[in-house]
Amino acid sequence: MKKLVGLAAVLTLASSLSAFAFEPAKTECIAPAAPGGGWDFTCRQVGKTLQDLKLVPGSMQVTNVAGGGGGVAYAEVVSKRDADNELIVAASSATATRLAQGAFPGNTMDQVRWIGSVGADYGIIAVAKDSPVNTLPELMDMIKKDPSAVSVAGGSAVGGWDHLKVLIAANKAGVEDVRQVKYVAFDGGGEAVTQLLAGSVQAFTGDASEAKGFVDSGDIKVIAVLAPERLEGDFASFPTAKEQGIDVIGANWRGFYAPGSMSDDAYAYWVDAIGKVYASDEWKGIMAANGLAPLDLQGDEFQAFVKESIDSITNLSKQIGIVK
Amino acid sequence: MDTLASLADGFAVALTWQNLFLALIGCFLGTIIGALPGLGPSNGVAILIPLAFTLGLPATPALILLTSVYYGAMYGGRISSILLNIPGDEPALMTTLDGYPMARAGKAGEALAISGIASFVGAFFATWGLVFLAPQLVKVALLFGPAEYFALFVLAFATLGGVASRNQAKAAFAAALGLGIATIGVDGQTGVPRFAFGEVHLYDGIDFLVAIVGLFALSEVFIFLEHRAGGSGADGAMKVGRVIPRWKMVRETVPAMGRSTILGFIAGVLPGAGASLGSFISYTFEKRISDRNGTFGKGDPRGIAAPEAGNNAAAGGALVPMLALGVPGSGTTAVLLAMLLALNITPGPLLFQQNPDVVWGLIAALFIGNLMLLAMNLPMVSLFVRVLLIPTRYLMPAVAMISFVGIYGISGSTFDLMVMIAFGVLGWVLRKLDVPLVPIILGVLLGDQMEKNLRRAMTIHDGDWTMLFNSWLAIGLWAFAIVGFVLPLIVGRYFRPKIADEPIAEGADPD
Amino acid sequence: MSDRIFGVFGLLLAAFYLWQATQIELSFISDPFGPKAFPYMIGIVLAVASAIVVLKPDTEPEWPSFPRLFEIGMATAVMIAYAMFLKEYGFVACTAVAAAYLSWRLGAAPLSAVIAGIAIAIGIYVIFHLVLGLSLARGPWGF
Repeated sequence: MKKLVGLAAVLTLASSLSAFAFEPAKTECIAPAAPGGGWDFTCRQVGKTLQDLKLVPGSMQVTNVAGGGGGVAYAEVVSKRDADNELIVAASSATATRLAQGAFPGNTMDQVRWIGSVGADYGIIAVAKDSPVNTLPELMDMIKKDPSAVSVAGGSAVGGWDHLKVLIAANKAGVEDVRQVKYVAFDGGGEAVTQLLAGSVQAFTGDASEAKGFVDSGDIKVIAVLAPERLEGDFASFPTAKEQGIDVIGANWRGFYAPGSMSDDAYAYWVDAIGKVYASDEWKGIMAANGLAPLDLQGDEFQAFVKESIDSITNLSKQIGIVK
Repeated sequence: MDTLASLADGFAVALTWQNLFLALIGCFLGTIIGALPGLGPSNGVAILIPLAFTLGLPATPALILLTSVYYGAMYGGRISSILLNIPGDEPALMTTLDGYPMARAGKAGEALAISGIASFVGAFFATWGLVFLAPQLVKVALLFGPAEYFALFVLAFATLGGVASRNQAKAAFAAALGLGIATIGVDGQTGVPRFAFGEVHLYDGIDFLVAIVGLFALSEVFIFLEHRAGGSGADGAMKVGRVIPRWKMVRETVPAMGRSTILGFIAGVLPGAGASLGSFISYTFEKRISDRNGTFGKGDPRGIAAPEAGNNAAAGGALVPMLALGVPGSGTTAVLLAMLLALNITPGPLLFQQNPDVVWGLIAALFIGNLMLLAMNLPMVSLFVRVLLIPTRYLMPAVAMISFVGIYGISGSTFDLMVMIAFGVLGWVLRKLDVPLVPIILGVLLGDQMEKNLRRAMTIHDGDWTMLFNSWLAIGLWAFAIVGFVLPLIVGRYFRPKIADEPIAEGADPD
Repeated sequence: MSDRIFGVFGLLLAAFYLWQATQIELSFISDPFGPKAFPYMIGIVLAVASAIVVLKPDTEPEWPSFPRLFEIGMATAVMIAYAMFLKEYGFVACTAVAAAYLSWRLGAAPLSAVIAGIAIAIGIYVIFHLVLGLSLARGPWGF
């Protein structure tokens, strides 16, 4: 329902602001990683949609500024492109996580303006199909009994999003020292799932889209979806963690930020443009193809959302001792 | 024969004029991208994805374009390896070892032709492997847990002794240096930065492309600057030699191609091993098996046939886990995977059933692209070798600038350029001191995975060392590494008559 | 002699590397192996290999004369300047200058070096930017 309200809000916003004081000329999207990654795709696909919807003149240039898990791009935008009105930068939960953990030295979230989200990928926790475990509480009980008996594989580094999700779940399930949860970091969700199939690990934490192929084939068993309510489509049959009494939501969102001293007119233009992309049928298709679930937040709402998620990650990271 | 019928359907999908044209464009661009230092298959595919989007191509034609680029880049990498001693991309690294000495001996044309044929053989049979063995091979990939991967990397480093036979201490130094460079950056297991000195640019570590381009391409420029004989106009005039290899030479390399295809394909199938390991292991095994007169490293045609067959076979092999498991075995397949997802195709166990037209169309496209590449590459050998006719005073500045662009265009980072220059100077000094460069790159390429898998194994088994040998596969790999490569090194020292320390054409001394 | 100096250098590098490895901060969550063990192993191999080079040096390589060394130093300086000014003056201008310099120092006559520099810069710009669509540094003149 929230999604519909948001959509309506955007539509009214879009119709009321038909003419902008800001007209873009040569737009640019920075993907803070090398070509081929998630941020690169966010830039390219949104750029193409903007172009198809004729929201930007000509094509949007995509620049790759790799390094530091997005930190190099962040620092460059803050220090060198602070007043650029034509620039947006791809971001995701990983950006928020790193900001929260101080992994971008000297940078904070207030130094840029957050524009909006274009979707979210909800987390899942899964086990192999022949595993004796069938529910999330069962898995947590196993961890409580003997933490060394359960290795959980994920696609992000320790302290990264896939790891945090499982720790939040363990925390909510009453595991006393969540640091004892054995987490094994792999290079991406696919590799982690493969090791689950190979029997090297007992559980998998990742995003719904990463696991889709294996869920369809029945090779893995999803024991919890970390979404506020059940997902649509192929994942509808899997219970949320909340239903099982463990109240965790883990959304890996994707969105954009813009330079901190961007003019208000330009900011309003970009908020509107990203909102229109989100509302377009074309984007709906891309979301479905990429396993993205709705997360429709623009402008101030998005700013508040990012702030809130950074705060909660900071708290959690302090609690479990990833940051001091 | 269900499979063959499906394949025939695939050809029906792929064989349209539009698709053939796309394959041709892809092969051509791919070959160029592969040959340019700094741009490899993964960047090439990523760069051309927007083109596929802009053209509004549906799934199958888009995949045909991009896989042609992929295969094309795998072919193209060898060109600069052979002609300039600069690997065009990381899997072509091993081809410099014998390719460049051949070019210097006036056999550039033959080297290019042999390596072209080897590339074709590797890719062609790997594609057949993909057709018939994909489901079985997935099971092989599942046999490899962290402990087995670690044993595999140990095996790779154990074979190093065979590559740089002149001074083992220097080879070990180089490998350790490469491994040390690989440890720079945020540690994936615990999230703490290592050797980064608070520099955010170092948090992601040092890109191996920066190291390769600096160590090979820039140091080559320095070598030429050092040796410029004042005023003589004859610089850079290297003999091109015949363009069509003697039949005898081709026949000699056939067994090498066959063995390397199998090894490379298996390395490709294992996610986390990939094409570089494929070409490396193919080379070292071939040297071990057939280097009776110590000709490897001095321009032995088998020394280029092996790594080229190996890395192209690995490129085909890497498609197995990507299509059947949705797990990319290399940087390139990671990009292709993202592309598939964007096209609303979910790779994974059901792909062959859910999207047979895409899979079989793709496989048919691989065959087509492969034949096209062979047909394109052999006649073009005479064109490629003309690069050698360009005087070095124009060629080398172009090589240097292309190296800069290759790195800058991908990362947009001045810092990376500085690191690359530092590697260039380092490469020059190390070449003067006769320290082999290949082990450095190998360390940079494999070090990260080697450490990660060791630590994953230790995490899963709570630090129990004996668990590194907990499967027959792991024990087999360890035994093979020790019996096949480490023992001969130690024992051989006492029993083999000392081979005279004649210089190997390892460095590039143009005079 | 060169090899001995190189070996000593390698030992110093190994010592520095090992010292830095001890400085790696441990986070609260750690795996049994830890982030330090692998660097220790590498550092030891580096040290042993360097020590062997010190004890058993190869024959002396042929070092270039001082003017040649200066040539390499200058080329390095030009490359560093190139990297620094790239963002300021744009790709084509910087590349033309740097390529012309290298071409000149590699033996081309000044005029042909300049022409070669400009041709290389434009050629690369066309291939990498216009054909492949990579974003190269945009200078004050739009290229």
